[in-house]
Amino acid sequence: MAEGDGVIRVLLADEQSLFRQAVKVVLSSEDDLNVVGEAADGLQAIAEVERVRPDVALLDAGLPNCDGIRATRQITLRVPECRVIVFSAQEDEQILVQALEAGASGYLSKGSALVDLIEATRAVHRGDALIPPRMLGALLKRLIHRRRERDEAMRRMGKLTRREREVLALLARGADNDGIAQHLVISPETARTHIQNVLGKLDVHSRLEAAAFVTQNGILDDLAGAPR
Amino acid sequence: MNMLVRKGNPIRKPEVWLRQADNENVVYDPETSVVHILNATATAIWVLCDGETTPDEMVEAICELSGLPREVVVEDLRRILLQFEEADILTWKV
Repeated sequence: MAEGDGVIRVLLADEQSLFRQAVKVVLSSEDDLNVVGEAADGLQAIAEVERVRPDVALLDAGLPNCDGIRATRQITLRVPECRVIVFSAQEDEQILVQALEAGASGYLSKGSALVDLIEATRAVHRGDALIPPRMLGALLKRLIHRRRERDEAMRRMGKLTRREREVLALLARGADNDGIAQHLVISPETARTHIQNVLGKLDVHSRLEAAAFVTQNGILDDLAGAPR
Repeated sequence: MNMLVRKGNPIRKPEVWLRQADNENVVYDPETSVVHILNATATAIWVLCDGETTPDEMVEAICELSGLPREVVVEDLRRILLQFEEADILTWKV
């Protein structure tokens, strides 16, 4: 079958040459799959994807020099038409979530059957998402937990006045009392009072914790209108 | 939403256990000695039936993960929870 005639072009990235060769032999035995590139580390994988523009990239999560998750983020950013499958030594819920958040379309463990890898490659190329069924429940639980945390964060944020949101935005950007006072054209004492109110309403105990609250909940953008 | 015309959150009967193997998910009820084979979606929902997770939360998470329309997910969830209920392996925690 000629390329461009339904052949899925695959890039394979794994530190272990033996593993790459074994997978390459298996994938290449399929009429509709063609391994067009290989990489032994994350940086090489990104460069190769940019060079050969494969349809699907298979990345080991534990790649040296830029792990598979970070490489996924870069690949989906730079070559968005390339679909990524991340695989890891064992089924790992945290890696699964990180991979999906980085833009991967699928996740497999190295314990999977080779036929699963073949089918996974075809599935993500079709546009399907691929999650090991056994991990689905845990993943949904994690999503629900995260949503609850976000809702709780928004509830606390809702207690803040507009001025306090401005103060929080400055705190999250590392400003001290004087910096906040200067930026908002208020006295340092007033800035301190606002900060105490923010800490109290967010139920956190330090500026650092307040800054972490903003970062962890990804709400810096929600502080729209706050000063830069 | 009250899509299930039930009050509270679905919860697995504590004596019922789940065994997940490579290609099958089995729920076993020692009280009745009945074995139920679940598909991947039903298994995921079974895991979520902890008495703390609301049906609404289940719907939102499944929609987020699958990209399916809300009405499709609501209908699937309703059907699966009713099957659990009919099999007497699920109750509702108010």
